[in-house]
Order: sequence, then C-alpha cells, then structure tokens
Amino acid sequence: MARKTRRELLSVGTRTRLYATRRTLPLSVQEETGLRFNVDVYFKDPLVAKNNPAAAIDTDFDVPWEPGISDGPTSARFAVVDYDASSGVLEEPARWDGKTVSFRGPKGEDLNSSMGRKLPQFRQISVWATVQNTLEFFEGGAGLGRRIEWGFDGNRLILVPTAGYGQNAYYDRQSKSLQFYWFNSEGGRVNTCESSDIVNHEFGHAVLDGLRPYYFETVLTETAAFHEFMGDLTALLMAFRNNGFRKEVVRDSEGDLDDASLLASLAHQFGEAVTGQPYLRTALNKKTMSDVRGKGPHETSEVLTGAMFEIMAELLELRKKRQTRRTQDDPSARPESLERLFWYTIEHMQRSAIQPLDFLPPCDVKFRDYAIAVLRAEQITNPVDPEGFRATMFEVFLGREILQEDDRKLLEPGPVFSRTPLAVFHSIDDIGASRGSAYRFLDDNREQLFIPLTADLIIADLARAKKLTTEGRQQADQIVLQYLWREEVLLSGERFGQFDGQRTSMWCGGTIVLDQNANFIHWSRKPGIQNLGSKPDQKAEAKAGAARRDELLDTVAIRVNRGMFGERQSTPLGVLARIVPPFEVAEQDGLLSFNIAPHFSLDHEDEHDLGGRQWQISS
Amino acid sequence: MADKLLVRMFDVGLGDFIYCAIPGAHESGRDFHMVIDCGSLSGDALIRNAVPLMKEMLPLVDGKKRLDLLIVSHQHKDHMSGFGLPLWDDISIGAIWMSAAMKPDNDHAKRAKKLHELAGAAMEQAAAFNLGSEFGDLFAAYAANNDTSVRTLTELLPKGNGIQPVYVSAGQSTSGELSLPLKDAVFEILGPEQEIDRWYLGTPKESHVSHLLALAEKGVLKSALPLPLKGGRTPTNIAAIDFRNLQSRMLATGLALSDADGAVVNNTSVVLLVTWREKRLLFVGDAEWEARFKEGAANSAWNTMWNLRRDQLKGPLDFLKVGHHGSENATPWDDGIERDPDKPFEPAVILDAILPKVSPLVAQAAVSTKRSNYKTIPRSLLLNQVATRIANAKSYGPIFKKGGIDPKTLNKFKDYEEAWFSRSQPPRTDFENITAGADYIDIPI
Repeated sequence: MARKTRRELLSVGTRTRLYATRRTLPLSVQEETGLRFNVDVYFKDPLVAKNNPAAAIDTDFDVPWEPGISDGPTSARFAVVDYDASSGVLEEPARWDGKTVSFRGPKGEDLNSSMGRKLPQFRQISVWATVQNTLEFFEGGAGLGRRIEWGFDGNRLILVPTAGYGQNAYYDRQSKSLQFYWFNSEGGRVNTCESSDIVNHEFGHAVLDGLRPYYFETVLTETAAFHEFMGDLTALLMAFRNNGFRKEVVRDSEGDLDDASLLASLAHQFGEAVTGQPYLRTALNKKTMSDVRGKGPHETSEVLTGAMFEIMAELLELRKKRQTRRTQDDPSARPESLERLFWYTIEHMQRSAIQPLDFLPPCDVKFRDYAIAVLRAEQITNPVDPEGFRATMFEVFLGREILQEDDRKLLEPGPVFSRTPLAVFHSIDDIGASRGSAYRFLDDNREQLFIPLTADLIIADLARAKKLTTEGRQQADQIVLQYLWREEVLLSGERFGQFDGQRTSMWCGGTIVLDQNANFIHWSRKPGIQNLGSKPDQKAEAKAGAARRDELLDTVAIRVNRGMFGERQSTPLGVLARIVPPFEVAEQDGLLSFNIAPHFSLDHEDEHDLGGRQWQISS
Repeated sequence: MADKLLVRMFDVGLGDFIYCAIPGAHESGRDFHMVIDCGSLSGDALIRNAVPLMKEMLPLVDGKKRLDLLIVSHQHKDHMSGFGLPLWDDISIGAIWMSAAMKPDNDHAKRAKKLHELAGAAMEQAAAFNLGSEFGDLFAAYAANNDTSVRTLTELLPKGNGIQPVYVSAGQSTSGELSLPLKDAVFEILGPEQEIDRWYLGTPKESHVSHLLALAEKGVLKSALPLPLKGGRTPTNIAAIDFRNLQSRMLATGLALSDADGAVVNNTSVVLLVTWREKRLLFVGDAEWEARFKEGAANSAWNTMWNLRRDQLKGPLDFLKVGHHGSENATPWDDGIERDPDKPFEPAVILDAILPKVSPLVAQAAVSTKRSNYKTIPRSLLLNQVATRIANAKSYGPIFKKGGIDPKTLNKFKDYEEAWFSRSQPPRTDFENITAGADYIDIPI
C-alpha cells in the first residue's frame, strides 16, 4: 500500500464518520480512505533475513486505523510500555501524528526511514502493528467475525517490546501482558520482539486464553498442546499473509510446499541461539498421535501443526489440479498464477483454521474436537464441496491418528443443519440478549441438553458472530454460547501420592453455536458423570463422562508419578523458567485444581527434565 | 563407645551442626574430635543450647577444651550462623578447613564471587517488592548476617588459635598435603574442585548463568531485577497499578541469578570422605546433583565427583550425611520418576554405587532437618527411598503413636508428610526431638 501524503488524506472528522461504517467497506476502500494505514514492521528475524531478502522489514504492511490511536502506541486493545527491567529504562513512546496518520520518533523522526528504524520506537510500532493486524485477522469476517475478549479483567493487552534480559518471551495473564525479552548470542543481540513469528506465537496464546480461558485448568497434555498449536498456527498463517514472503516461498518451492523450509522455520534465530537446533519446532513433520504418546505438550502440538500444514499443502494441490482440468477443458482459459492459487489457499486456510475455534468445547479440548470443528466449518460454508476439500482434510486427520476410521461417517451426506428437540423454545434474540437469558435457555432445556440438575451453570461466554465465506459472502449470524459446570472427583489410591484422599473438580460443559433460525450449527460437549436418565442417549452421555473422569484420574496419577505438579506460585516466581513445573496445583473451595503452569517459554528442549524440580530455597 | 566412631548430629532446626569422634585416631593416642558446620535458619536458641553439649564431648588439653578440626562446608547461613555467636572463645581449635570457594583471593573462583555479589544485590532489591512470606528464607539467606560468622572463621579464630585457615579442594587428603595430627584414618576431599569457575559456572557458551555474568561484567546487564524508572517517569498510557503489577512480574532474571548462586555455593560444599578401619563415611554439605555432567556447563557437585573422582566416590558407604536437610536435589536419586532402564540416569546410578541395596544392609544415614514451608526440604519420598538402603531406618508412625503425639500437629504434615509417614525414613533430628526430646542423634559406626 503506497503511503499517502497529507494532502491525500481525508480529514479526521470525515474519516471518523467513515470508520463507523467500516465493516461494510471493502479493504481497498478502507485503504483508499485512510481507514487502514501503512506501518513498516519487522517480519522475519534478522538471521533468516540475512539469507532471504524478502524476509527482512515488511514495508507493505498496513493496519486498521481507529479514532483513539495515540502515543505508545496505544489503541483500543493494546498499550505498548517499552520498559526494560534490566536497565530501568522506560523508552520514550512513539508519537502519534494524527494529521499524517503515522507514528513518529520522540523528536518527530520518520520511523519508516532507515534512521528511524534504528530507534527503539520502531520496535514499539512493529510489535504493536503486528498484533493489531493479527487481531483484525482473528476478528474479521474471514476469521471469527466478532470482537474477542482477553482472558483477564480488562481490555488492553500491555505489550513490552524489550522487557529485559532473558531467553524468553511469554504471555502473562496476571500482568495482562506480552513480554518480549532480549539476549546476546554469538551473532549479537537478539530482540525476540523483532521476529513476527515469536510475536504472533505469543499473541496466539493470548487470543486463545481470551476465547477459552478454562483451557489453562487442565491436566491433559492435548489441551496444553492445543495452546502451543494455537501459537504456531497463528505465526504460520500470519507469515503466509505477507506478500513478499509468499512470493519467496512459491519461488523457492516451485509450488511444492514440502520443500519450502523457510515457511516452517518458526523463530529460526531464537531457536538457533537458544537451543542450538536449526528450528524451534517445525510444521514439516509426519508425526502421528502414536509418535507423541507420553511426550510433552510442545512435541504433541507438532502433530496438529503438521496436520494443518499438510492440509494447506493438499488444498493447494487440489486447486492446482482444478486449474489443470480447466485449462485442459478450455485451452483458451487464462490460468491463474501459482501465487494467486496460493493466496486463495491461504484465505481458505484462514477460514478453515480460525472459524472453527468458535465451535470448540469450553474445557479440556482435544485435537479430535478441533478436527471435527474444522470439518463442520467446511461443511457449513461449502456444503456441496465439488473439489473434495473435506475428504482431503479428513484423510489428513486420519493419517495423523487425530480422527479414526469410524469417524468417516462425518463425510456422509446429510442435512447441513439440524434442530435439537427442546422442551422450551427461546428465540435466538432472547438467547443472545444476555448471559442471564442464555442461562434461562439452558436451564429450561437441561434434560435435552444433558445438563444435570445439580449443575450450577457458568455462562463462560456469549457472542454473536458475523462470519464470511471464502468468497466473502455473509454466513448466517452465529450465536456462540459456552457453558460450564464442575463435578467432584475423588482421588483415591496410592497412585495419587500426596493427593490420595483429596478431591478435585472436573470441568464439564459445552459450546452451542446457533444460527438465526435456532438451528444447531455445532454442539460440542464435555460431559460429566452425573446420572442423566435411562434413555440410551442419556446413558451414552454419562458413559462418555465416565471415560473423561477415568482419563483425568489416569493423567493425574501419571503426573504425580513423574513429579510434574508444583505448587501454584501466585508470585513472580510463576514466570521463572528453571523452576516452573509443567503443571501446577492449587486448592480452592476444598477442591484441588490442576492447571497448566502459567508460563510459556520458547526454550523447552528438556521439558521432560522439569519433573519434580521445584522452587528450592538456596540456603 | 570407645571402639566405635561416633557421629552426633545436633538438632538445630533447619541447619547442620555435626560432631564426630574417631577412637584413638589422634596421633597422641586419644580420640580425634571434629565438628562439621554450625548454623541454622531456625534462630539461635537451638545452637546456643547445642554448642555447650558438644563442648562436653571435647577433651581437656592444656586446661582448655580441644577441638582438633573444624570444617565449614560452605558459606550459607544454615551451615555457619553459629560462628557469629560468642560461643567459641573457650575452646582451642587445631585446624580450620573451609571450601576453596570461600578463599578470599581465589583466582579460580572470581566469577563465583561476582555471581554472589550480583545475586545478593538482586535479592536486596527483590525484598522491596514484598513478594510474600514464602520468600523470607530466600532473602534471609542473602542478608548481611553471614559477615560476622565469616570474620570469626577467617580472622578471630585463626588468630586466637595461632593457625591459618586451610581452603580445601578435591584431590587433597591427609595422606598428602593436608596436615593433621591423625593416625589410622584418612580424610580425603572429593569436592569442590579447585577450579571453581570452570566446573561449577561453566563457559558463557554452555552455561546460562555464566552468560549472564559475562553480560554483567560488560555492563550490558545493569540489573537483574526491575530497576526504578530513571528520571522518575512513568508510563502515561496505562494506570499506575497496572505498571506496578507488570514490574512485579518481571523478576525472572533476578530470581534466576539467586537460584544459580545458591546452587553454586551448595555445589562448592566441602565433601569429605573419612576412611577409618575400612569404613567409609561421607559428609556432603549441601552438594547438589543434576541429570548429567557436561564439560563447559555449570555442573553440579555429585555429577562432577562422579565424572572426575569416581574411583574415590563409587564404593559402598558405611555412613552418609543426607545432604541439604533431605532436599530432593542434594541426594542423587531417580527423582521419584519412573526411568527408562535402557537409559541410565546418572544420579540414580550414583545412589546405587554408594548405597547399594544389599542384604543385609550395612550403611547408616541420618538427616538434620526441620519441616518448614517447603515440600522439597525434606522431600519425604526421597527419605523413604534412602531408608530402603540403610540399616538404621526408622518407622516414625509407631513412635509418634507410642509417645501420644498426633503427627497432624506437625507443620505441613498433611501436605508434605502424611502420604509417606507410614514408611521408614533415616533418623531425623526434628522427629527425634519431638518424640524423645533428643537434642541430637548418635550414629555409632
């Protein structure tokens, strides 16, 4: 996007009035009217950039404008605080110039100039613009089609571009922040905030924590792994949206994504300097669930990341074949360039990977839940599926052992929408009006919705989404309703070690996605063990709940045996890598609560060695 | 008793105060008397009570109670705070041994000292954050209260006794350069290695802590903890409370430094092997272990001994002073984790070598400890495992019952003791005091 001169810009007043209607405006008009503006950002970390000219600074990057953008940068959802804890320096914030619609250095420097890029304020706007753009990717119609909330009380995520010395970067819910540290390697100082991969990975954690805050409260490896997958997926998809990078990948790979090592090299520089490994983790893998049995969350996440990458490669292949068919059928047809086909695939992937997040259960997510959601989202927007996209996706999930052969019934033709018989009808407007009215809908239909009478329901989230199809057509509005309840589970037996005789809680619940006509678009559930009745479906539900309980108990026992639980550290020690156990335990209301430790380190080479080593006084 | 070597471990709360008498081992023909460490994190009262009891054991030589050797394993409060008390003027001391890491001008420990300074400064800053009571012990360990003890050990006692402190390191022994009026017994030093910085801090390339130090030396890393804002500025785009909250969550580097420093000091503990009448006794201070040894890394003491001094270390012991008050990282073991038998886990291999599971069991062990607020000190599961390898293990359940003492009244019993309480443990100074009012544990060898 070419930078506009001051004269070409609309007045702030006019732009503000247009802003109110921005959702109806195509991207090109938003760019034309200054509702988007250009910001140069770091794209690939400098080490990768050395060998890849397209992977340095992204000068073709634009972000959505908002009337409230100000110094910092500060915007509706983000506030940059450039405070380096290891030097005590609070850098001057980048200055917002509303007249030129650009950020400037403290003395008015142009941050998009070569001199400006050397200023700390360039890092500030780079991090801010990266997440501002990624948030729009999630919230836009091709994504979730709705505003999302954070996993903490408040609406501004604090961004700390150079938080201090450390080989780390993490999302920290308690301080409402993304903290990016810096360290010295043989190649020089590494600012983790200069890699958009790292920034997007960490931001992916923040987004998922906002969408599904109860995913932290689990002992399941797959749920912890899903958080890691989300980080990697975000980094991967955002990298592919970079035009120069995509061109580079297409050129390097000649259309065969299996050979494109660049795109899969998430956080190359970081991985190289910290772990001595060429890549931190890679999307180019053939791992199955069997391969990662008993492994930690990071390694397990590679199965799903690899699967989604494989789906992307397969979808591109299908598009290439379709084009070949078309040109064979009609030799006069003008073929689309490979770059164009790749772009269609990326857009398809954005919808296929992000929109299903709204379909996920509110707790204890498994890769299988996600795979089913992906297939369902594809079915809704592409019910005829002439190219066989769904079948292709299914085969990938099957090959990775995320789905089983029995799941092939998901591909069987059938009605796209169905209505679950309910005892009491509530209009969609009523359900979507407030959490209180959503609760009444659930309560009036407990039996039909498999919610036990004893369950005191929590409405975790209620949202109305306006999603788009890949072609940009409006899908039916979706009401996304997440509800949960807790059920007690006794830890009994020697295998629970110090927890023997204590009680924990199992989160149960579901996510119901309805359209305007009260059709069930999707319903994912995590059943409990309470008796629901004697009907076959009620028995099956309780049986599934019992299986969940057994898995919970077995997992806790294994973790106890491996010494993987540590005390909850509500203090700053919670972010000290060496001493943080992979899972933590806390007591609340007389029940033990097991959680993923609230820390995401990029250095997890020895994740199996963490077991049992907790905070130790050095006396 | 005359025919038995005596190890007496005094109850000083969370700390070590060990007295040892070796029959007829003084070159004059009398018993040889030795003290290893005297310190506590549980206040002074227990030490003030214990030191006179120890003195009663000493012989009168030239009208004064005589201690032949005093060893200070490492410079932590729970091993040396007793020397800051006025309790030592009325005895004469024949020799003082300390860790080579404590030698003031040790060229091989310059970076270890720098690390200690940095960590101390960081902890001083961290104390201002009011992080909560659980950090009290951590900050106390860095408080300036060790200074008096160090002065006593390095200046007052040597001057008063006309001796020079000896800073010992691995490879030294009374068969060689270490001079003691000792006969029929050999004292060998297995740790620390003389090259402290090399083995326990490693190189900046391989060791994170060494890398941090290099940055500090270059002035790149000015502080390990959030520094006050320069110029008094505060962010203008977030609330003050959010900024304070943010700062309090940015302590990772500083706490990593203190953690590393604590580990280095522990790992440079004097590890003493006493051989007497073919019996082997090992006093380990607070030596720690890690999963593996690697040249250039910041190695732990047990791994270093195993890889550099294996011939001396590897034989079955007759006595082990359980390290670091029963902490999980001070006695090499399998860490309570099921291990793949095809991949030997070095700490577990070490334990098998020094405390093999043989029949009948011959080795003895004891632990001086006190349950504070930590699961890891002592780690009950570790004590259970050590107990399966020693002849003097005790089952405290029946003993508590017999004494009419409800173990539930013990600090953190439900959390950290109950699940393991029915199994045997090595004798514990804290439990012996609770159940029998004992001021010490005696282990005759």
